Amino acid sequence: MLKLLREVFRTGEATHKYPFAPLEVAKDFRGKPEHNAVSCIACAACTIACPPNAISMETDVAAGTRTWSISYGRCIFCGRCEEACPTGAIALSPDFELAVARKEDLTKRAVFSLAACPSCGEPLAAAKEVAYVLDILTRSAASPEEAERARFLVSTCPACKRKHDVEQLARIGVERQMENR
Amino acid sequence: MTATTETRIGQPYLAALRKKLPHAVLEERWQTDDQVTVTVKLGSLPEAVATLYYEHDGWLSTMVGNDERSLNGCFALYYVLSMEGAQKCHVIVHALVSADDLEFPSVTPKVPAAVWYEREVRDMFGLRPVGLPDERRLVLPDDWPDGLYPLRKDSMDYRFRPEPTADNETYKFVNDSKVETTVVPLGPLHITSDEPGHFRLFVDGETIVDADYRMFYVHRGMEKLAETRMGYNEVTFLADRVCGICGYAHSVAYASSVENALGIRVPDRAQAIRAILLETERMHSHLLNLGLVCHFTGFDTGFMQFFRVREKAMTLAEMLTGSRKTYAINLIGGVRRDILGEQRLTTLKLIGELRAEVKRLIDILVSTPNFEGRVKGVGLLDPQVARDYSPVGPVVRGSGHRRDTRADHAFAGYKLIDMPVHTQAGCDILSRTLVRIAEFFDSIAIIEKLLEDTPTGPILTEDFAYKPYKFALGYTEAPRGEDMHWSMTGDNQKLYRWRCRASTYNNWPVLRYMLRGNTVSDAPLIVGSIDPCYSCTDRVTIVDVNKARSKTIAYKEMERYCRERTDSPLK
Repeated sequence: MLKLLREVFRTGEATHKYPFAPLEVAKDFRGKPEHNAVSCIACAACTIACPPNAISMETDVAAGTRTWSISYGRCIFCGRCEEACPTGAIALSPDFELAVARKEDLTKRAVFSLAACPSCGEPLAAAKEVAYVLDILTRSAASPEEAERARFLVSTCPACKRKHDVEQLARIGVERQMENR
Repeated sequence: MTATTETRIGQPYLAALRKKLPHAVLEERWQTDDQVTVTVKLGSLPEAVATLYYEHDGWLSTMVGNDERSLNGCFALYYVLSMEGAQKCHVIVHALVSADDLEFPSVTPKVPAAVWYEREVRDMFGLRPVGLPDERRLVLPDDWPDGLYPLRKDSMDYRFRPEPTADNETYKFVNDSKVETTVVPLGPLHITSDEPGHFRLFVDGETIVDADYRMFYVHRGMEKLAETRMGYNEVTFLADRVCGICGYAHSVAYASSVENALGIRVPDRAQAIRAILLETERMHSHLLNLGLVCHFTGFDTGFMQFFRVREKAMTLAEMLTGSRKTYAINLIGGVRRDILGEQRLTTLKLIGELRAEVKRLIDILVSTPNFEGRVKGVGLLDPQVARDYSPVGPVVRGSGHRRDTRADHAFAGYKLIDMPVHTQAGCDILSRTLVRIAEFFDSIAIIEKLLEDTPTGPILTEDFAYKPYKFALGYTEAPRGEDMHWSMTGDNQKLYRWRCRASTYNNWPVLRYMLRGNTVSDAPLIVGSIDPCYSCTDRVTIVDVNKARSKTIAYKEMERYCRERTDSPLK
């Protein structure tokens, strides 16, 4: 009994003032993921990496938009999105106070516009994603011709690319096609 | 995987099996140097399992059912035996069950430990264990439609929830007592555990004559979810959530099962970090249980003190992983976060403080006059019952059996250290508590040792490719005992089969024997001593069969009676 009393007095106050004073968390604590729509290119890498499907991406072809969204109700704060993101657009913050009054407030969205294929005009991919890849490829291209070829490959939709390939092949002529076999 | 024959451990067991059952063994396949799958003829299955179990110090770790109709036209059963004799290894007895008649001879009459597994495989795959003494449902609810077997590949989507077929529970509780008894149902939202369970105590006056219970009220269908929706890496995060207390142990067990199946060599540093985090988890889990022992013996100040000190273990986890509970640190092939120099120093400081503070609290606890009287000689688990049912963790070590996966089948960073195993011969709650106390201080020593000379190098390897239909075991020693996972890779970047067996699964079947002969007021304490997860949301229904009346009392009242032991609610 005396030992216990001594322990109680030795301890003093064990509790924190939280929520009346802020609670400090460890460095690199994994809290609420914060999304930066400016640097996001809507590539969907995070939606694939996310284990509980908290992050998702929806494409509306009619409106020409792609909507990125995160549901903090589903999030497990693992940080896989942060690891997968090529542009550092999503990062875990130390914020752990996520309670909201309405369920809808747990979902955060960002809308991106789609780029159209220059040949057929059908929507292809998020405009920012196309621009991001184009930028990298044109910078690393050895010649202006190669850059132009990269531009064609990146901005054209798969169907048009196939059509283009067939037309190219048809132009070559039968003899040479046979030679290449 | 590609090991030479000389390094393989466990060959004498196979030789003995071939000698005893000359025509039964069809094939042997080695997954790792100490893991072998032996295919036997279906008719010899019980004999093969019983031979390894009783004649060669085998313990039943898990049993896996698998729908392999798309691979070989049959269902498969894998009885996983942890061999703890002269050579420590895992022998998996495998047999194919025909998809036409779906019958297999039950192992339970020879090895009682198989009873829950065979009841489960019956529910999940519709395979019929012929000769199984207990043919009640285990996992599926009573209102589940007949003929719908969730884990068959062609049965249902993981999101499907069938309409109930009955309005009331039809489960028959088993009472083996010879005398007339009163029934005390506890639950369905249950006595001391988070996981709702329905307990029936059959009592004669205040003495428990027999007990039966029904679990799986909150079966989450995780195996189906992992097999149909998630990729290999994603499942490590799902496994983290199998348990709210010792989830990291599951994550490591799952990751190592896939790593073993594919022959991935995980870097030593990652293995050491896994072991450090597993011990961190053990510290907070054991402190929680010690706190609850205080609580149930009516020593609430001690409960508060243990929980105050436990906070240091939680802080440690938060610092090392970024989260207090679900560590989310594993990937297939290693871990995601390194332990840096500064974190190492803080860890050493924190565990130093923990050692001193817990030592003082333990002194207080054991010198509390009420303590020994409440736990000594209560909730006895007979060593022979333990031998028959293969319980794990402090429950089996408290009954004198020297079983600890960390020592028997060293995994992760435990290969780098000498692992002490603590046993107690008292077979009671006191013994289990003393084992936990000793293990707490071991955890501190293990972390110190691993931090002292942590292997250097990378923490994650990505130098591997997934191959279809490879399978192996992965295991850890969670705070409550051995966690056993069995994974088979698929051909679509998903698991073909994931079998996850939590430690408490092996401890429930023996609880019945631990409750017998004790008083009702000791029941919460006994249930607590196997360390399931706790909750206080329960209600207790008392039914006096003799007088045909029933009475419902709040769980709080039951708990109060356990602590104060006055004014019996049964009167």
